[in-house]
Amino acid sequence: MSESADTADAEAVEPQSSAEKALAASAAGGDERLAYRGVFQRLFVRPEIGAIVGAAAIWAFFWAVSREFGTAGGAASILDVSATLGIMAVAVSLLMIGGEFDLSSGAATGTFAIITILLVKDVGDLGGAGLSLWVAIPLSLIIALGLGWANGTMVERTALPSFIVTLATFFILRGFKLGFSKLMIDNLTVGRISEAEGRGYEFWEPIFAFVWVRNDHQLGIRDALYTIGVVGGLALVAFALAELSFVRREKLNSGGVPVLAAGVVGVVAGILFLHNSDGVGANTVGAVIIAVAGLAAFVGFGLWRFTPQAAGGVHIKDSLPMYLGGGVVLVLLGAICAVAFDVDSQESVLDLLGFLRWPIILAVGGGFAARAYLRNDSGHTNTLQAVINVASIGIATGFGAYAFMFMTTEQGLRSILFAVFVLAGLGLLGLAATQAGRASPATRGVVLAVTAIALAGLAFFIRDQSASEKFRSELFGVLLATALVVLVWGVISTMFERRTSDHEAADNLGSLVAKIGMGAIAVGMIAKMLFTTDDELAAGVARAQFRISILWFLGFTLFATWLLGRTKFGSWIFAVGGNKQAARQIGVPAARTKTQLFMIVAVAAWLVGLLLAFRLDTVQSVAGNGLEFEYIIAAVVGGTLLTGGYGSAFGASIGAIIMAMSKQGIPSARWNSDWRFAFLGLILLTAVIANNFIRTKAEASR
Amino acid sequence: MKKMRWLAVLLALVMVAAACGSDAAEETTGGDTGGDDDTEEVDVAQSGDLTFYMITHSDDGPFWSVLKRGAEAAAADVGVEMVWQGSNNDANVQAEFIDAAVAAGADGIGASLPNVDAVRPGLEAAVAAGIPVYTINSGVNDYVDLGATTHVGQTEIIAGEGSGLRFNDAGATKILCGRQEPDNGALIERCQGLANTFNGEVISEFMDLDADQTAQEAAINAALAADPDIDGFMGVGPVITMSGLRAADALGRDLTIGGFDITPELLDAIEAGDVMFTVDQQQYLQGYIPIILMYLEVTNSNTLGGGLPILTGPGFVTGDNASSVKALVEAGTR
Repeated sequence: MSESADTADAEAVEPQSSAEKALAASAAGGDERLAYRGVFQRLFVRPEIGAIVGAAAIWAFFWAVSREFGTAGGAASILDVSATLGIMAVAVSLLMIGGEFDLSSGAATGTFAIITILLVKDVGDLGGAGLSLWVAIPLSLIIALGLGWANGTMVERTALPSFIVTLATFFILRGFKLGFSKLMIDNLTVGRISEAEGRGYEFWEPIFAFVWVRNDHQLGIRDALYTIGVVGGLALVAFALAELSFVRREKLNSGGVPVLAAGVVGVVAGILFLHNSDGVGANTVGAVIIAVAGLAAFVGFGLWRFTPQAAGGVHIKDSLPMYLGGGVVLVLLGAICAVAFDVDSQESVLDLLGFLRWPIILAVGGGFAARAYLRNDSGHTNTLQAVINVASIGIATGFGAYAFMFMTTEQGLRSILFAVFVLAGLGLLGLAATQAGRASPATRGVVLAVTAIALAGLAFFIRDQSASEKFRSELFGVLLATALVVLVWGVISTMFERRTSDHEAADNLGSLVAKIGMGAIAVGMIAKMLFTTDDELAAGVARAQFRISILWFLGFTLFATWLLGRTKFGSWIFAVGGNKQAARQIGVPAARTKTQLFMIVAVAAWLVGLLLAFRLDTVQSVAGNGLEFEYIIAAVVGGTLLTGGYGSAFGASIGAIIMAMSKQGIPSARWNSDWRFAFLGLILLTAVIANNFIRTKAEASR
Repeated sequence: MKKMRWLAVLLALVMVAAACGSDAAEETTGGDTGGDDDTEEVDVAQSGDLTFYMITHSDDGPFWSVLKRGAEAAAADVGVEMVWQGSNNDANVQAEFIDAAVAAGADGIGASLPNVDAVRPGLEAAVAAGIPVYTINSGVNDYVDLGATTHVGQTEIIAGEGSGLRFNDAGATKILCGRQEPDNGALIERCQGLANTFNGEVISEFMDLDADQTAQEAAINAALAADPDIDGFMGVGPVITMSGLRAADALGRDLTIGGFDITPELLDAIEAGDVMFTVDQQQYLQGYIPIILMYLEVTNSNTLGGGLPILTGPGFVTGDNASSVKALVEAGTR
């Protein structure tokens, strides 16, 4: 799948297809910047891809260990936290791409909430403003713009780091929040914005604080909408990926159309059958119908539109047998571990191993010590230092092994070994598929088929063995569907020729269809989140409520993404963040751009402040203090560089969702909250390392 | 804004004038009524010369303003001078205040001990000089060691224990004790006290900071949703208590809710019956009582408490007294 990414290897292996010969030629002689990059390569170099993959992984992790993730209530909670965090993270990411920080952004959110409340509040003796919200809201917006302007101007005029200048603003705001609220109402909690009743409160309240209570809204056709949206949407995305990946025929081959039609009819029939039948036997029949019909539909689609290719022979050679065999063996090992260990045992691994613990600890510690000795990676020439170094590595790793065995129960070990072996096995199979692609299309088809069989086997294994109801139903379905996708891809990528150059019409059509497909999936999922059914209510589903702040979050993210990607201002942001001097020399108004960025952050803080004020009615003077670092972390997790010039607003919003999930996941999984910060730290570290890796790859392939 | 500043200046002037005025009036009163009762005259003359120092880590926030009003009222009631010195959580400043008070010949010192080591030398010097020392608000573990007469305050454990009994009465079986700071020992002790007396299970967890109420509410929401058996929530601060109420509302769960400390909205929630009670440490007493005790120790060599701390809490605000407490909060004494 990444022929162009690894050109050195491509030259080493004998090119098989004509396409790959052309590619090798272009890599060797032509301009590498013009080399064609397939749809997956293009997706892979987006700054936010690391965040998206991370978000999916964290969601899957907490889905597996808690009951809340995967329910509408859990989604509502996560989105609720993401919304206010995300609006700020997106604004802050724009500023960071522009090369600056705003440490006052957290305190500013609370400040604008308090300012607005104080403006509408009738403070009595001290003479409060008692204004209408129609005046107070624009007025506080003007104050916000002023704050942003002041921050930006100070940074520009003094040429001091924004870290220092906005740290000062942070303290000033903090002082003002305390000072004003105590001076005017002698209290640290400032309330209430609802005192503006009759002065615009009725109009503005739903705009900033509308709550959608899921349990009050029933939709009979919800499940149908969900199924059609998700299945139809996934199919459209898959067709779009095919359109983006394969070479179109000169002339359409109408012979494929009946096959396609029959396949689609078959899939629909299969779904209906599944929907109306019960029992394991009938479900299996339904699944098989869907699988066969789905495969037929894609093959028909390919026959109709795409150029067939010679599959070539199957060549299992070089490192391929090792990857393929290793992958299958590891998946099997995972399954064996799951059967061998007792799922209900809480016994610590240390006790389980008995005397065997010592050889293992010795082996781990000794192994790492030996490795350190052989590599001499400390570079010590002094013998004593080298001995200390090697010994400390050995002791530390040996103790680590001991601690791990002490803390892990047999039950825990079972899931860890299962997950590690299975994921490693699937990873090896993925590598095998990449390798095989260089050998011949047929080889890759075979490897993908093996992977699909492994996945399907895993699905049935989990359904048979897992103690978790959720795993037996939902994970089973997802694995089976993934197996089907892999199988279909294996078949059609063997049958049809991959594109190695741009094709504007096909690219446009493909991305349009992909967007429609993703829209359909979104509609299906949103319907499932927002509406309930009579059956669910009868079963006593937990109450869930969605707040309008989520829409503000979505809107602000779209606005920022548009601003960054589609406007001149967006290019200026990247320019001033990358190299301010150079940007100025090519005519970018650097000072103005930065000041405007500070103003965007202040306006975001104003928006979040209003969301807080209308939601809570009473705002604490500490509100928002210290949250600026969470905004920065969310932006960094979302792929924005601390040094400026690179990043993504959309990524920052995903970063905020990751932060919200890790915050929510700990209580959802009923873990001890004392470990929350350790977990957050790990996520941050992983995200930064992953993003760094992706960026290096991206720059290498550019 | 300008109007207010003038008002504040004016107010300060009036207060200063009033203070001077009352001093003068008292002295003349003492002289005029001198003939009535001999002993009383001696006392009044003696107490008129007494100066008690209240040296705390006060930030002059709403909590400390109430405590300060208590001390002022007691000083007025027994006719002594009270000097209020708040260090705004700066232990060094507090230590300097104490040294200065000892040097100025204070007749009694009330001190809070958030950081005992910083103020230890000063207070030990005061004890050595024969000045009565009382620890207030915080310092229950150190007052004996310092040689202070006694401690006036609330212990977190006992406050928590008191609320555990309330949850028992309400028939709760499993309580989530939500904390708004991950590593504040006092808050952890409140949850521990709750677990000491509560008959069921107590889960003590950090939810999120008061600075991020959205996340706080969501974390409580997640914890409640993850465990359907939880039927009670204890917030160890007023803000997190309100977050707990919101989270329970969002889930449609009917919980028994208890809280700590007083805010207007928490009182409203108690009046409405949404929150069962809040623990009030009655800090007015922590200002009022030490002045009275110092006065009695200096003038009559009385000591109270038998060496044990004098607890001002937990007092409970429930649906029964919420409205009267609310009026008192507005008056500034609760």
